Amino acid sequence: MNALSTPARLDAPASPRGRQRSRADVVINVIVVLAVLAAIVVGLSTHRFATVANAKAIITSASLVGIAALGLTLITIGGSAVSLAIAPTVAAVGMMFLSAQSLGLVPALAIALLCGVVITGVQGAVVGYAAANPVVLTIAASFAITGLAIGISGGASVAPTGSGYDHLNATPGGVALSVYVLIVLAVAVEWTLRRTGFGRSLYLIGANRPAARVAGLPVGRTTAVAWLGAGALFAVTAAFTAAFNTSANVNLGGTLTFDAIAAVLAGGTSIAGGRGSALRTLAGAVLIAGVSDILLLRGYSTGVQIMVKGLIVLFVVVIVHLRTKGSRA
Amino acid sequence: MSSASTTAGGELVRVDGLVKSYGSTRAVRGASFGIAPGEIHALCGHNGAGKSTVVKMLSGQEVPDGGTIRVGAEVVDLRSRQVAQRGGIALVDQELSVVPTLTVAENLLLGDIQASWINRRRTSGERFRTLLDRVGLGHVGLDQRLSELGIGERQLIEIARALGQDARLVILDEPTATLSDVESAYVYTAVRSVAAAGCAVLFVSHRLGEVLDLSDRVTVMRDGAVVATTPVADLTIDSLILQMLGEAPHRLGRRTGRDIEGSAEVLSVSGLTVPGRVATFDITLRAGRVYAVAGQLGSGASDVLRAIAGLVPAATAGITVDGVTVPAGRPAAAIKAGIAFVSNDRKAEGLFLDKPVSWNLLATRLPHVTRLGVLDRRRWSAALAALIDLCGLDGRRAGHDVGSLSGGNQQKVFVGRCLGRDDVRVLLLDDPTRGVDVGGRAAIHALLRDAADRGMTVLFSSTDLEELLDLADVVVTMHKGVAVRRHDGDTAGSVLLREMTHGAATVTEERR
Repeated sequence: MNALSTPARLDAPASPRGRQRSRADVVINVIVVLAVLAAIVVGLSTHRFATVANAKAIITSASLVGIAALGLTLITIGGSAVSLAIAPTVAAVGMMFLSAQSLGLVPALAIALLCGVVITGVQGAVVGYAAANPVVLTIAASFAITGLAIGISGGASVAPTGSGYDHLNATPGGVALSVYVLIVLAVAVEWTLRRTGFGRSLYLIGANRPAARVAGLPVGRTTAVAWLGAGALFAVTAAFTAAFNTSANVNLGGTLTFDAIAAVLAGGTSIAGGRGSALRTLAGAVLIAGVSDILLLRGYSTGVQIMVKGLIVLFVVVIVHLRTKGSRA
Repeated sequence: MSSASTTAGGELVRVDGLVKSYGSTRAVRGASFGIAPGEIHALCGHNGAGKSTVVKMLSGQEVPDGGTIRVGAEVVDLRSRQVAQRGGIALVDQELSVVPTLTVAENLLLGDIQASWINRRRTSGERFRTLLDRVGLGHVGLDQRLSELGIGERQLIEIARALGQDARLVILDEPTATLSDVESAYVYTAVRSVAAAGCAVLFVSHRLGEVLDLSDRVTVMRDGAVVATTPVADLTIDSLILQMLGEAPHRLGRRTGRDIEGSAEVLSVSGLTVPGRVATFDITLRAGRVYAVAGQLGSGASDVLRAIAGLVPAATAGITVDGVTVPAGRPAAAIKAGIAFVSNDRKAEGLFLDKPVSWNLLATRLPHVTRLGVLDRRRWSAALAALIDLCGLDGRRAGHDVGSLSGGNQQKVFVGRCLGRDDVRVLLLDDPTRGVDVGGRAAIHALLRDAADRGMTVLFSSTDLEELLDLADVVVTMHKGVAVRRHDGDTAGSVLLREMTHGAATVTEERR
């Protein structure tokens, strides 16, 4: 292509600011490398941390949050910030999943997926087509979902109506099934984001929504589809969580909403949209699980573990912010 | 307000030989003029003449490269806006800087250097009342929220705030550009009363009628230099335009081989109305022609384009493309009908600045570079190479973020992304070369003419006479929301400028 070998210099040479920026980048990179090294040293010096059994424990504990966080990644990249209705959605879908066990595992899974897709997809359609604020909308939705779930279940825990669910608790090769599912889904979501027109539109819409509208990208549809996908992933988390607990009530989701947000942010996905990836989220989930594990093995209390989780998120968000600010200066 | 300290010539403010360059462009090359106390002094000039740079230097936003600014008898160094304010120079900006959610009193307090720190509201109340009376806002309460006031009244609050800073020189930068006639009249009254109190007023405006009505003397700038400072009694609209444009021949030429009416009708717009901005605008566009809507800020020219692109929900219009009706107010429908829009706000609704050039160029044609929804590497790079070639961009930069490119190249990407596609029938560009240097400008003009030669219909809005004359086959001038006249080639630039700045009125009607 002769276009690719155009010799003309089209732009002014890098300004002095460019050199300052690269110095700042070096400082940031050094900090990141030091932090990673510190984590490795602390990890290796922790008794029983660097064992296969412990690695399995870490990735298993990361898997349920990780799958939900993959769903949230789609929402965040598309510029809809976060969904605060993850835990209630997972609880409601989990209850549905267990009470549908009498139909068999596969129909119950299908019902769970449908449920998750509908609940979350409706919210996505409102965000996409009516430009609703996702935070406000999902707060409202989480009350509505919880209320509905309590209303239908009468506030009681739902017991499984069959035993098909137990297949989800299988551990082929000594590793929980949810781990395999997490990895397969992470690859699938990553591929969708990178290699499809939908993925590319999602990044562009997240980066600049008004510009996407002017460019004629299907803003409403793409946003709605991203939320649909997120709903399906929430439903997968719900099925695994319910199967693991063998019963489900409205508190099944627990702290999942914030755990998923933490995993997305710790992976370095920008809350403002337009940046991030599924593999980053996977890394974020594993990072948080790994650090929690170190603290647990070293005998720190739950309070410390939670606090450190917050500090990790803060650290990564600040680093990501500094880097993107640098590249835009 | 003491007018005791004036320069030798009885002037309150005097600038001499001001020079300012931005990079290699000399925005101002030797500007000298003076303003007397109590005088309303207008500063006129066509786009790029250097008016706003002079205003920036006088208000402390830019430091001159050379020359002097005198306030009273002494030479001052206006390092910042605060310093200028303390020196008695207040600027009322083009963009309103009042806060709609606060009350009148609270807005007046913002940036008020006189208010005492304790009990500010009570001690300042009386002073504020006087200020409001001076600008003709006697009917407005101090506790009223700004959001309850009209845009003209907000402009007056801004003037009152400038007066509250004990200004000796008030600079008004296009204060009436976005106001209606009635609102503008309030501003004129306020400006006159401000001047009557002994304040000097520097008034920047594109509306030549109001310049002649309001001011005592007019300084005209052209190409960064002052052409003349003339008492208004010696000026007419036409002599003012002559000063602004110079003697150079500016004509809209009829381009060879372009019979305006000879090709198929593509876009037809009838009765386009945007409440408060545009009154019943009609236009018919034919294939392969370049059309322009010429009008200053607030004339409605850019509203016309935005409305055709479906970006103004309040707009009503009958729009057809190739005879098929396009519903108004829906951008997706407009795009589907083949109407592409290049906004004048590249950052906010144009490019994806932190995404690569390649993503930006192909953003509008993702369906064409995918197969069953999956990106197809071969189609992607073929489409990219073709576009980069078309726009004259550097292929090696395809992977760079668009934000790292110069303004001119960013605009090439923005325009280029609408070209080379059969599904775009009409290309709308709102101020196509804003913030673009001379070289980039010529390249973008060439791109657009090329596109028109290949059968695309182009409609752009501009305030820039040279751009209008260079690029357009047909120019429709607009003034205050109304189309003034349609010019099919062979029109003098001075006529266009006259209509843009003054409307359709004839000399005899308007001349004071």
